[in-house]
Amino acid sequence: MRVRIALGLALLATLIGFLIDMSGSAPRLAGGDRIHWPAPDPAVAVAPPGSRMCVEGTILPGDAASMLIAIHGANRLPRITTTFTDTAGALLARGVLPAGAVESSAVTIALHRPAHAPSAVGSLCLRGGGRATLVYDGVTGIGTTTVNGVDQPGSPAIIYYRRGSETWWSLLGALDLRFGLGKATIFGDWTLPVIALAALALFAGVVRLLLAELG
Amino acid sequence: MTARSALGMVGSPARAVRRAWRRIPRAGRACFVIAFVNVAIWSVIVPPFQVPDEISHFSYAQYFAETGSPPPNNPNDSQYSLQEYSALDGLNFFNVIGTTFDRGVFTVPENQQLRAELAGSNPLKNAGAATPATNQPPLYYMLEAVPYWLSPSNDIFARLALMRLLSALMAAATVLAIFLFLRELVPRTPWTWTVGALMVAFQPMFAFIGAGVQADNLLYLGSALTFLALARAWRRGLTTRRALAVGGALGIGMMAKLTFLALVPGAVFMLALLAWQRRGEGRGRAFAMLAAGVGVAALPILLYALANVTVWDRPSALNGALTTATSAAGTGSSAVTWHEIFDYTWELYLPKLSFLNHAFFTGYGYPLWSVWLRGAVGRFGWLDYGFPAWVYTDFQRLVYVLAALSVLGLWRVRRALRQGVVVILGFGAMMLGLLVVIGYEGARATATTNYLFPQARYLFPLLALYALAIVLITKALPRRWAPVLGALLVALALAHNLFAQTVTISRYYG
Repeated sequence: MRVRIALGLALLATLIGFLIDMSGSAPRLAGGDRIHWPAPDPAVAVAPPGSRMCVEGTILPGDAASMLIAIHGANRLPRITTTFTDTAGALLARGVLPAGAVESSAVTIALHRPAHAPSAVGSLCLRGGGRATLVYDGVTGIGTTTVNGVDQPGSPAIIYYRRGSETWWSLLGALDLRFGLGKATIFGDWTLPVIALAALALFAGVVRLLLAELG
Repeated sequence: MTARSALGMVGSPARAVRRAWRRIPRAGRACFVIAFVNVAIWSVIVPPFQVPDEISHFSYAQYFAETGSPPPNNPNDSQYSLQEYSALDGLNFFNVIGTTFDRGVFTVPENQQLRAELAGSNPLKNAGAATPATNQPPLYYMLEAVPYWLSPSNDIFARLALMRLLSALMAAATVLAIFLFLRELVPRTPWTWTVGALMVAFQPMFAFIGAGVQADNLLYLGSALTFLALARAWRRGLTTRRALAVGGALGIGMMAKLTFLALVPGAVFMLALLAWQRRGEGRGRAFAMLAAGVGVAALPILLYALANVTVWDRPSALNGALTTATSAAGTGSSAVTWHEIFDYTWELYLPKLSFLNHAFFTGYGYPLWSVWLRGAVGRFGWLDYGFPAWVYTDFQRLVYVLAALSVLGLWRVRRALRQGVVVILGFGAMMLGLLVVIGYEGARATATTNYLFPQARYLFPLLALYALAIVLITKALPRRWAPVLGALLVALALAHNLFAQTVTISRYYG
């Protein structure tokens, strides 16, 4: 009986801890442009006033609601407009950084796009207003980045965040999708739920074994 | 030969395995299955190649599977096959390791790009150069070649998934061996076998390493089998058969990873002590048993050495493995001295004393906590993520409590200890051997690298002793309360393992 009570209390504590952990709310990543973050190399792309810096063949995650990018060149940045167009030239997302934002290694630009849009391959372009030359940090010798059509030494590092702050519960759908990617093709949407069930069965098996052997 | 007798020959090993399986207590079989399921879950959670050095171990196994020989260490080749490079590139591997924000494949288009990169990439082309794994003996990689070829698909990830399951089986077998080891040492309290084995099964770093294609898994199995074979020979008396079992376990360990050599002097010392105890049956017989054990252990090494210089055409009998591990580290003023090796080894486990001239861990804190405890609690991936800081602090407090309980446990079993002098000496020598070799290699690493060499997993060949320590801790309480403590410890390990999995999911998918 003592073992039963001790195990029951321990498992209850674990369950409470798990629920608290899963209910923790924080900004969640939507992905990145596969350039090392934070950016290790300075000035991989330099955009004179009014010019357009474009990263070609990059992927915009479907759930991206904002992007972080390292921009320098002025203490207070000018207004910067951002667009993402797919390979057919259709505008999929846009964003505006109001003038006056502080230059930083992680400037946040909100993106506006339809909810539940799929991830897409295309071009991400940033155009700065004002008279400042914008300098982007990233990694040299990688990717295809241009300024007004001229190739740059490297590509800027970008990471994307989902909208607002979320618990792990609200992220379960995204986790389910991601869990099946980058693995053997047999894995898919079913994998995470099955893993969860297997973990549950494991708990049950251990409890049963302990009660049989120790109880 | 009739078809029936031919079938009988195939069937008899299978029947023998089935019989052996049935002889294992039900709880032991349950521990095996539980450990396998747990590590298999880990193997799906951890993305491809995110277990430390998995890229090198997979590469070795792939080369062996494709060519039938170990990599030739040809400097003109590249370390990994074109197929593996394509997979690593598509997975964003080199950005993900060692960082906090970078992630692997997060979107469907990235997955499509990965598949496009892999299409047509050759599983053999360009591979063959030296990696951190290529000087290791080939047994693990030979075994991993089996699931590689059994894979119904040529897809590198399908093969990796199956190879990981073989590692999971090895981890489960390690847990079972530890269960049986405890059965030999504490035969009167069967429930402690389950508690000790489950504590190992849910040690999250053990399960995490078990989830990957990593030769450490066979090293852990070889070590656990050695402890089991020695404990069995001690409790039941050494016979030729048991000496052969010890030799077989030593052979598996030595053919798994060079690190195992650290355990060999202690194991042979214990085998010699056990043979000495049988001298009453005739010195010749006692010596023959010792020789049988050592001979069986040496046989695979001799075959490996022979194959290296004949069939595989490698530069030397042991492919320079021991030379690499023992040649002078550093040159000129940066050469590592024996004095430094001693100081380093001491400071790696014990508080620095005033007369030790060298300070090796300034800025890292006391290695007992910063390296061994933190590492055992959890430093996952390529040592790039773990738990929040408070978790490690709480575990440190828990260790104080458990240490006090173990002292109490030692006191309570002091009579039994007197009967186990041979075990204490033998296992103590094996442990000391491993600690010294880790210190030796760590000190040598200071000449060539800036990173901290030791990792908690290097101690995992001693997992059988960890399980024994857990049993000792439970023995601290009176008989009525000891199982309660055992159950609580397993529940803690279960929770530890669960939260390690959630941390891993948030690291790679969140």
